[in-house]
Amino acid sequence: MRAVELLINATALLPQKLFAQEIGGSTSVLRNKRFYLTVLLLTTILVLGFTAVCMASGHGNPLTEAPAGNTPEFGNIYAIGWTAVNFFVLLALLYKFAFNPINAMLEQRSTTIEGSLRHAEEMKVEVEQMRKEAQTNLTESRKEAQEIVARATKAAETAKAEISAKAQEEAQHIKDKAHAEIKSATEQAKMELKDTAASLAMFAAEKVLGRAINEDDHKRMVKDFVNEAGDLLC
Amino acid sequence: MIFGMWDAPYFHIGSIPVDHIIVTEWAIIAVIGLIAFFATRNMQVVPTGLQNAFEMVVVWTYDFFTQLMDKEHVAKKWAPLLTTFFLFILLCNYSGLIPGAARVEGFQPPTSNWNVTMTLALITFFSVHVAGFAENGMHYLGHFISPNPLMLPLNLLEEVTHPLSLTVRLFGNIFGEEMVIAYMLFMVPFLIPMALMGLSVLLGAIQAIVFTILSASYIAAATGEGH
Repeated sequence: MRAVELLINATALLPQKLFAQEIGGSTSVLRNKRFYLTVLLLTTILVLGFTAVCMASGHGNPLTEAPAGNTPEFGNIYAIGWTAVNFFVLLALLYKFAFNPINAMLEQRSTTIEGSLRHAEEMKVEVEQMRKEAQTNLTESRKEAQEIVARATKAAETAKAEISAKAQEEAQHIKDKAHAEIKSATEQAKMELKDTAASLAMFAAEKVLGRAINEDDHKRMVKDFVNEAGDLLC
Repeated sequence: MIFGMWDAPYFHIGSIPVDHIIVTEWAIIAVIGLIAFFATRNMQVVPTGLQNAFEMVVVWTYDFFTQLMDKEHVAKKWAPLLTTFFLFILLCNYSGLIPGAARVEGFQPPTSNWNVTMTLALITFFSVHVAGFAENGMHYLGHFISPNPLMLPLNLLEEVTHPLSLTVRLFGNIFGEEMVIAYMLFMVPFLIPMALMGLSVLLGAIQAIVFTILSASYIAAATGEGH
């Protein structure tokens, strides 16, 4: 009876997740567990059946009553029972420490690889997108740069024309001013010359006439003279 | 006393006697369990060392049974049982190679005992029929009268022959091999038995593979089409 308990305990160790991926889900897990449990129970029943047959046939306990030196008997109930228990305990242990973790790891690995591949595909698309964007940006930048250069060239030319025009205007202004100044100075010089010449003529006439004539008459006469002479001089 | 002969119980648990071979089985289970435990203790996505080796064994057996059986889902369902058969039988066979094993009283490979091989064969026997019923339902019974009802006795005989042949083949090979090595050691203690021991390494592996493949093929036949 203790052997049966051990067998049942061993099956309780059978883990939750079994190797039935294709069917998938908890139903297959339960089904798989049930299959192994059935095999275990049938083996146990057979062992108990053998025991009953041995006892009934009058041979008694085949293990304890077999004398030393005999060849191994076929049907050592305890050896059969223990081996069945041991085998299923090993199966349970392997499920716990080998099949389940390895199965889980294989699934995880498969998921990881799939994820990596998907990620790589996404990255590829993203990189392609970024490349296109960069290309567009580059084209736009080039266009913009060309525009800036063109604008700057135009502005420079305008500035050049403006400066040139202004310079010419200023030069003309200076020239005109100089002309006016020269003219004014010439006029002033002429006036001064006329005055001086009149004074000299008046002084000379006084000396010649020996008397002072009316200032106004003299001046008028001299002025007429100087004007005539001046026209000749200039 | 030479191994293979009747052995008195080693000790008792309650009223249940424990034989020497049972203790050997426990040791084998402990070894396999410990290897499995250490191999999968710290699982990595990229496997290395023991994890890699153990994964390789499990995945290889898995693929092997999938190729052997027609139906993949059946292979996946029964692969753990068959892998356990293989590992257990292999280590049982090799336990006889431990130095002095043949000379120590009661220390013998468990597979050189009728009862052990018969138990394993019975597990196969029940697995085959459970797998057959699970896969084909009541139609499975049809294969006993296939191709016609007159074949029923032969078919039934075949079903009995399968576990019997599994039992006798494994027991006979390992027991015979161990007996030969034991007598050789008795007669010529040096060098000569080494050749036989080398042969028994090969035999141990072959017998484990044969037992497992036959079990797999019986399950495949029971779950196959046409039942």
